Amino acid sequence: MAPAVERSRELDDFESVVRLYWPKVFRFALASLRDRHAAESLAQDCFWRAYRSRDSFRGEASVATWLMQIAVNLVRDRARDRRWQFWKRARQTAVDATSAAAWIRDRGASPEDSALIRERVEAVWKATSNLSERQRTVFLLRFVEDMDLLEIAAATGLKEGTVKIHLFRAVQAIRERMAK
Amino acid sequence: MIEHLSAEQISQWVIGERTAQLEEHVEECAACRGELAQIESTISQFRTAMRDPANLAPAPEWRIPAPFASWFTWPRVVLTATALAALLAMPISWRVRTHEQALREQAVRAAQADAQLLESVDSEISQAVPETMQPLVTLATWNSSSAKQHQKAQ
Repeated sequence: MAPAVERSRELDDFESVVRLYWPKVFRFALASLRDRHAAESLAQDCFWRAYRSRDSFRGEASVATWLMQIAVNLVRDRARDRRWQFWKRARQTAVDATSAAAWIRDRGASPEDSALIRERVEAVWKATSNLSERQRTVFLLRFVEDMDLLEIAAATGLKEGTVKIHLFRAVQAIRERMAK
Repeated sequence: MIEHLSAEQISQWVIGERTAQLEEHVEECAACRGELAQIESTISQFRTAMRDPANLAPAPEWRIPAPFASWFTWPRVVLTATALAALLAMPISWRVRTHEQALREQAVRAAQADAQLLESVDSEISQAVPETMQPLVTLATWNSSSAKQHQKAQ
C-alpha cells in the first residue's frame, strides 16, 4: 500500500488517533500557552478540526505533522487574540504556578544534582516564554517533539532555511538566559 | 585551527549544523565538549520533564459523531412526524379559518341589507297615504287649515 494511502487510512480509526497523538498536541499547547485549561481546550479543538477536515487529508505528510500543523495554527490564532494577550499579561504578574522545573523527578539523583537540574530546566522554561512565537514553536517542535527540519517546515508553513534561522536564534537566546 | 567554539558555533552545533572543522575541534577540546554536553543535557532534561506522562492531561474519550443511520431512533421519528404533521396542518387550518371568516362577513352584509329593507318597508307602512297620493293629502291639509282660518275671521 502507498504511504499516502496508508496515512489516510490511519484516520479511519479516529479514536486511536486521539489516543496516540493527544500527548504530543497537548504538550505543545501547554508549552506554548502555559495554561493547562487553555492547552486542554486547544488540543480538543485541534482534534475536532482534524476530524472535520479528515477528508481533505491526502497523506502527503504524516498524521502527526498534519495534527501539529493544525495545533500550530491554533496557537498562532490564540497568540493574536487580544483577550488572550490581556489574560496572559495579567497572569504573568501573578505567581507562575506552571513550570517544567516542577515536573522534574529526582530519579535517584542527589539533592544538589536535582536542584541544579531544576534550575537549568527552569531557565529553559523561562527562556522559551520570552522567545517570539515562531522561535518558541520551532524550538519545541525540534527539541521536545523530535521533529526534523522538514517536518517542522511542513507544520509551520515556513521554508526549511527559515526554520533553521529561528531555531538558531532560539538556541542562542536560551544559552544567553542560562549563562545569567 | 580554532581556539574554542564561539557562541554562534555552539548554537550551530546544537541545531545540528556540524562542519568537519567543528567536529575536529570538539573531538580535541575537552572544554568545548563539556560546554556542549551541558547545553545538550539541559535541553534533554527539559524534554524529559515536558514528556513526562504524569504532567499530561489524560486524553479525552473521543465520541465519534454517530452516522446518519443511527439518527432514526423512535422518539426522534415520533417527534419529527408530529412536527411535520403540525406544519402540514397549518395551511389547511388557515384556509378553513379564511373560509369561515368570509361566510361570517357575508352573513353580516346580508343582515345589514335585510335591516335596511325592513326599515324602508316600515317607513312606507307607517305612512297613512301611499306616496303617490301624498300631494292630495298636502292639499287637503292646506284646505282644512285655510277654512278654519276663514271661519275664525268670520
